[in-house]
Amino acid sequence: MIRFNQVNKTYPGGFLALKNVSFQIAPGEMAFLTGHSGAGKSTLLKLISLMEKPSSGTIHINNQNLDNVGYRQVPYMRRHIGMIFQNHNLLMDRTVFDNVALPLIIEGYSQKEIRRRVEAALEKIQLSDKQKCFPYMLSGGEQQRVGIARAIVNKPPILLADEPTGNLDPKLSLDIIKLFEEFNAAGVSVLIATHDLGLIARMRYRTLTLKSGNMITDGIVDGLHSQTEVVSE
Amino acid sequence: MSNYFKPSPENKVSTGQKLMSIPLRHLQQAIGSLGDLWRTPFTTFMTLLVLGISLTLPATLHLFVKNANNVVSQWDSASEITLFLKLNIDDKAGQNLASRLELYPEIAAVTYISAEQALKDFKLHSGFGDALTYLSENPLPATILVTPTKRSGQAVAAKDLLLKLEKEREVDQGKLDLEWLSRLEAMAKLIEDIVIAVALLLCLSVILIIGNTIRLAILNQKDAIAVMKLVGATDSFIQRPFMYAGAWYGIFGGIFANIAIFTLAHYLSSAMTELTALYHSSFTLETLSFTETVGLMGSAILLGLIGSYLSVRQHIRAIEPTAD
Repeated sequence: MIRFNQVNKTYPGGFLALKNVSFQIAPGEMAFLTGHSGAGKSTLLKLISLMEKPSSGTIHINNQNLDNVGYRQVPYMRRHIGMIFQNHNLLMDRTVFDNVALPLIIEGYSQKEIRRRVEAALEKIQLSDKQKCFPYMLSGGEQQRVGIARAIVNKPPILLADEPTGNLDPKLSLDIIKLFEEFNAAGVSVLIATHDLGLIARMRYRTLTLKSGNMITDGIVDGLHSQTEVVSE
Repeated sequence: MSNYFKPSPENKVSTGQKLMSIPLRHLQQAIGSLGDLWRTPFTTFMTLLVLGISLTLPATLHLFVKNANNVVSQWDSASEITLFLKLNIDDKAGQNLASRLELYPEIAAVTYISAEQALKDFKLHSGFGDALTYLSENPLPATILVTPTKRSGQAVAAKDLLLKLEKEREVDQGKLDLEWLSRLEAMAKLIEDIVIAVALLLCLSVILIIGNTIRLAILNQKDAIAVMKLVGATDSFIQRPFMYAGAWYGIFGGIFANIAIFTLAHYLSSAMTELTALYHSSFTLETLSFTETVGLMGSAILLGLIGSYLSVRQHIRAIEPTAD
């Protein structure tokens, strides 16, 4: 699903954000991406979502080499990737329903189909009663869930989440992660970038750790032991 | 439930379904962008006013040229030669001369105006009608109007013809109305050229005004555009509402211009009628014809689309989503 092969990313001005990073995420796999801020998490996600291009190395998404994806194909590639952000990126002047419907409208679904799918997605995140609300009327956790509904409404095979639990308390964070687990169980590849190490420790999932642009660990983080290990890096 | 979200990336919407939904989506976006304009009534109204005026000016100038050409064409006696006959020549000799002249190969048409007819016409058109009745005898000579053929109507050839005609025994004096006419024509041509130049400049300003308005609208929607790109919207999907906004500006600007011109023409024509009545002339101001009205609307819409297209091309591509 996602394959990085010796990827380097240098930003204009010479800052080396990723150094020789290689990894692979299989279809239906769920993994965490962690590291301190500035370690390159965001850069890695930007590369997957085609917001940036690698300086060298190759990236494959859905078996498609991103080198061969021109400007015009970028939107079509992004339709296969559900993206969730810490700041939700919702359209504040549109209702919850319209926000969630956006990817479907873009793809040209019929009104009936849009209604059916949006309602299913909102039911999934338990916000069916808020579909006529505007985002500012919702709490942070609810807004985050709307963002998730928008990411999964067109059933993408890949789900990327950047600090999805950033501003949420532990209980809500766990709820959100459980949602991701459900999507994962349905066959979606999920990559979650977070610096919430406590959360990772509780989950026992494959974890990729970045430190100043290098991939320093890749594997199952096992309970408290690994947590202290990662912290001591 | 979890089965429902099973990923299914390939061909989620069939081509047929997509084609079916295109007109509907366009309609939705067209109405949507009209709604966006309505949401900022003051700005929109101001922009429309500026557009309307920018469109009214060239259209008014066009009307001016059109009416001026109309007037000039009434004097379209291009290089007509007027022959004043000697006062002692009687009607019969005059008419004889006229029929002789008709045989000249250089002459296309000949009109004989007797002295009495000339007096009558003069009474009618000059405005001195009453005063003329006090004259004891007709001071006017008979005249023959000679219209040369096209080839002999050229400046040099017409002069040659004039010299030839003046040699006729009955002719007292010949007059070639060439110079003032060519001057008038040159002036009309100059004014027309100026009008075209001004119209082009004003059209350019319409494009720039719409382009700039759309640019501001795009920058206002920057975040929303970034989000749309993030969830896979193509540039053409994002730019469509802005293109429609440009078209709406064109439509409403065009309507405004048409109303303004109609009002202006109506207002001027009553003043014009009064003025021309004083000159015993039957001049009527012509307004825009149906074709011209449609043309004005069409070019307004076209300018709107060009303006928004230029803006959209430049600015939508520049907006890229960022992860933070």
